[in-house]
Amino acid sequence: MPPRADLLPGTLDVLVLKAVSLGPLHGYGVLLRIEQMTHGALLVEQGALYPALFRLEQQGMLGTEWGVSDNNRRAKFYRLTAAGRRRLKEDTASWNRLAGAMAAALQTRAGEV
Amino acid sequence: MALIGEWIRRLGYLLRRRAHEDDLRREMEAHRALLEDSRAFGNTLRLRDEARDAWGWTWLDDFAQDTRFALRTLRRSPGFTLTAVVTLALGIGVNIGMFSLVNGLLLRPLYERPDEVVGVYSRSTSPPGEFRGVSYQNYVDLREGTTDIFATLAASSTVFAGLDVGEGAKRTLASGVTANYFQVFGLPLALGRPFTAEEEWLGADIRVAIISYPLWEQRGADPGMLGRLVRINGEQFAVVGVAREGFTGTGIPGPEVWLPLGAHDSFRTTGVSAGRPFGGRDEHELTVVGRLRAGTSSETVAAALATVGRRLEQAFPAVNAGYTLEMSAPWRLMFIPGPGSGAVTASIALLLMIMPAIVLLVACLNLVDLLLAREQVRRQEMAIRSSLGGGRGRLIRQLLTEGLLLALAGGAVGLFLSRWATTALLASVRPVLPVAVSLPDLGLDWRVLAGTVGFSLAATLVFGAWPAWAATGRAVVTDLKRHVGEDGHRPRGVRIGNALVIGQVALSLLLLSSGGLFLMSAISAATADPGFRLDGGLLVEVDPSLAGYDEARGRQSQLALVDRLRTVPGVEAVTIGSGFPFTSFGDSRSVAPAGAADAQSRSVGAVFSVIGRDYARVLGLPMLGGRDFSDAELASGSLERVAIVDDALAEGLWPGEGALGRLIQFTDEEGPGVGQPIRVVGIVPAVKHSLGNPRPFPHVYVPLGQHYESAMTLQLRVVDQEAERAMLATVARVIRSVDERVPVLRVETWRDHLDAGLDVWLYRAGARVFSAFGGIALLLAVIGVYGVKSYVVSRRTREFGIRIATGAHPRALLWQVLREGGRITAVGIGIGLLLALGAGQLLQGFLYGVDRVEPVVLVTAPLVLLASSLLASYLPARRATKVDPTVALRSE
Repeated sequence: MPPRADLLPGTLDVLVLKAVSLGPLHGYGVLLRIEQMTHGALLVEQGALYPALFRLEQQGMLGTEWGVSDNNRRAKFYRLTAAGRRRLKEDTASWNRLAGAMAAALQTRAGEV
Repeated sequence: MALIGEWIRRLGYLLRRRAHEDDLRREMEAHRALLEDSRAFGNTLRLRDEARDAWGWTWLDDFAQDTRFALRTLRRSPGFTLTAVVTLALGIGVNIGMFSLVNGLLLRPLYERPDEVVGVYSRSTSPPGEFRGVSYQNYVDLREGTTDIFATLAASSTVFAGLDVGEGAKRTLASGVTANYFQVFGLPLALGRPFTAEEEWLGADIRVAIISYPLWEQRGADPGMLGRLVRINGEQFAVVGVAREGFTGTGIPGPEVWLPLGAHDSFRTTGVSAGRPFGGRDEHELTVVGRLRAGTSSETVAAALATVGRRLEQAFPAVNAGYTLEMSAPWRLMFIPGPGSGAVTASIALLLMIMPAIVLLVACLNLVDLLLAREQVRRQEMAIRSSLGGGRGRLIRQLLTEGLLLALAGGAVGLFLSRWATTALLASVRPVLPVAVSLPDLGLDWRVLAGTVGFSLAATLVFGAWPAWAATGRAVVTDLKRHVGEDGHRPRGVRIGNALVIGQVALSLLLLSSGGLFLMSAISAATADPGFRLDGGLLVEVDPSLAGYDEARGRQSQLALVDRLRTVPGVEAVTIGSGFPFTSFGDSRSVAPAGAADAQSRSVGAVFSVIGRDYARVLGLPMLGGRDFSDAELASGSLERVAIVDDALAEGLWPGEGALGRLIQFTDEEGPGVGQPIRVVGIVPAVKHSLGNPRPFPHVYVPLGQHYESAMTLQLRVVDQEAERAMLATVARVIRSVDERVPVLRVETWRDHLDAGLDVWLYRAGARVFSAFGGIALLLAVIGVYGVKSYVVSRRTREFGIRIATGAHPRALLWQVLREGGRITAVGIGIGLLLALGAGQLLQGFLYGVDRVEPVVLVTAPLVLLASSLLASYLPARRATKVDPTVALRSE
């Protein structure tokens, strides 16, 4: 298993949105999808997911419906709303900008500035 | 938009939150079931709480939880709760009471959409600043010139008039108004119809009247009142309407009856224009008030008024030159031609609220004390809660919720108390007012309710914040290990308690001594030497003009009364005069030496009285020089004008030279005879005219024949001074037998006249209010002293036990506790005395016959406080001596 990194504050929301954008998921599914997407590099505390899910639902980024999970249990499925899609796009763009800037800054060698 | 959506979601959650909670729980369980190690999920309860936070209703949940918990806690300690609620009820109650008064007098709008209603005033430009009323003709031009800015522009003229609704005439305020007057205020009549344009036309003299709601109510609220005839100044007017409840027009107090301006000459019998036909362009006696059209800016109004003002100046320079028109909010405390000022209103309100605020502060100090003591008992509870993860903010919120509940309960009880107190206060005003008026409604409205909540909230913050802060910020572990009640010696807590008591004692002393100053004022006002002999004097107030009599008939009626009363057995002497001392209305003149070039600058203001034969003799005033008026001078139409002056006026005009035989003139007199020299034929000693004057005020007396005044007082001196009261009924009967139509406004002894006057009432009311406030503060301070001393004694039970066991005499312990109580009280008194001296300085203008440093008050008030405080310390002190050593040592 690769070394795991703790989440930066504020990153969980965008990860959840990204995970759900690939298809409706229940809570546990969201966790699994994040693990897949990050190749297990990011540590998401199991329970910490739910406050984030509720917050996003509250903000209208996620829609919910009850369905049946793979193991035939009732589960609440989350899907992305139009507002959620917009937010994901904005957040992705801003992350990319930040990540690019950070990378550029950290690769700077002496004499380049 | 997004915000609204958010709230709709929140609301949806609130309505279906049980279902949401279940969803959340099920979902988390499902998740845990999928995990190999369910412990990896974390604390489900805490996570659920966190998730719930996202829904945005946690605060409400917390609040409901806090409230339930607080109610439970308070129920468990009924003694504490009762003390706290009573304390707060007193503190908040006095504030609500005073605020109701401020609200009724100054804040509550008197009519619909008050910001649209403005007064229009005529102001002089040279010299600037002086206001006068508006004449009817000017008003009509103004109304026609401003139809585009005023939806309605009305005018009124308020006068004193005799009103007889079938029980004999009494003096009241009557207001002559234009037909559209009631329209301005947006308040339709309770009954009947407003006046018509025909009734407004000058000289129409259609005698109709609209009466006030209270007057209608006093007459049994009879719908058949419409069409009924009432007498106003002796003339019959038909009632056509009843004004809406609480309607007073623009100001307070309001009139009891409204009449159409067209009937002006039939009801206007006093004042500058009495006897002259109304409506001349130079009769500036109307007050103009209008409702602006919606959306009119004040610049537009000012410009339009200035234009009309200029036009009036050009068209009628003789009467309008030098005057411009201005707009301002109507002045609600009186019907004067000038505008009011918001700053004055605010400062009156502020002044009135200072006193009760101090009482509330004392009450809050008590609460701080109670809460700090209670905190000792609850330290373990707080420690447990904080060790279980209760954050400090959460605990403080809990404690403040408890405080708020107490304050709201106190506020509710206080509201009830204050209703009762304001009703009593209002009832005590009415009898001393010289005229019947409509008083404002001091009833409940949203302002008073909001004020109650506001006072409760403010009190909660004042008394609750610090104890809550102190109770929650402390080492948890040490508190957990302690037993309840065990505390060793905690000098900090005691020191704080002492500081609180010192504050309470100081503030109570401030209020008590202020109350004392007013009490002394009331006493010295009631026993003041008026400058004449009070015993055996009776006073009868009559006004033939209220029966509609003209000058000739009025004179005849007055003289007939004097003559008839002289023959009544037991009456020693009778005289008649206008403006008896200590009546509320008095005429005055500027008096100067006749013919002096600098007459204006040498003039002296003097009370002006018209008197009949024997005036000085009946009042018990010796003639200091000269003579009384002769029969010829008392009869009308005598040749030379003569006057009697008092020594105060003589000294003012010719210091040290004597005035007898010299000539004076009235520099402010109008009409025929202006500037005519008047010979001084007699000198009498000065009398006081009102309590407000520390020194006797100059008086000038002229004989009956040279001036007619319809409102007169008959003065009687009775033979048997003991039976003066018994004579009152006889005198009233005799007067009625002489002329039934002439209203007798007042029959009373001189002493009662002084006692019942507005002057004395004001000091009495001040004394009553301040003493009540001081008394409440004293009570609160005593409770505070008792609380702190009880606390100290209970803390030191073990110490006392040991000392008794080792042979200390119980009396020594008693003295020690008393001495400590006395010491903090003494410090409080010291500070309080300084405050009291400051307050005396501030109050000086309101006091009568007392010095701002009044030794009696400054000794008595502290003694009362010291005695009460020692008594409050005595009970705990006695408990200290009763400590049983064996019990005390075992108890901890």
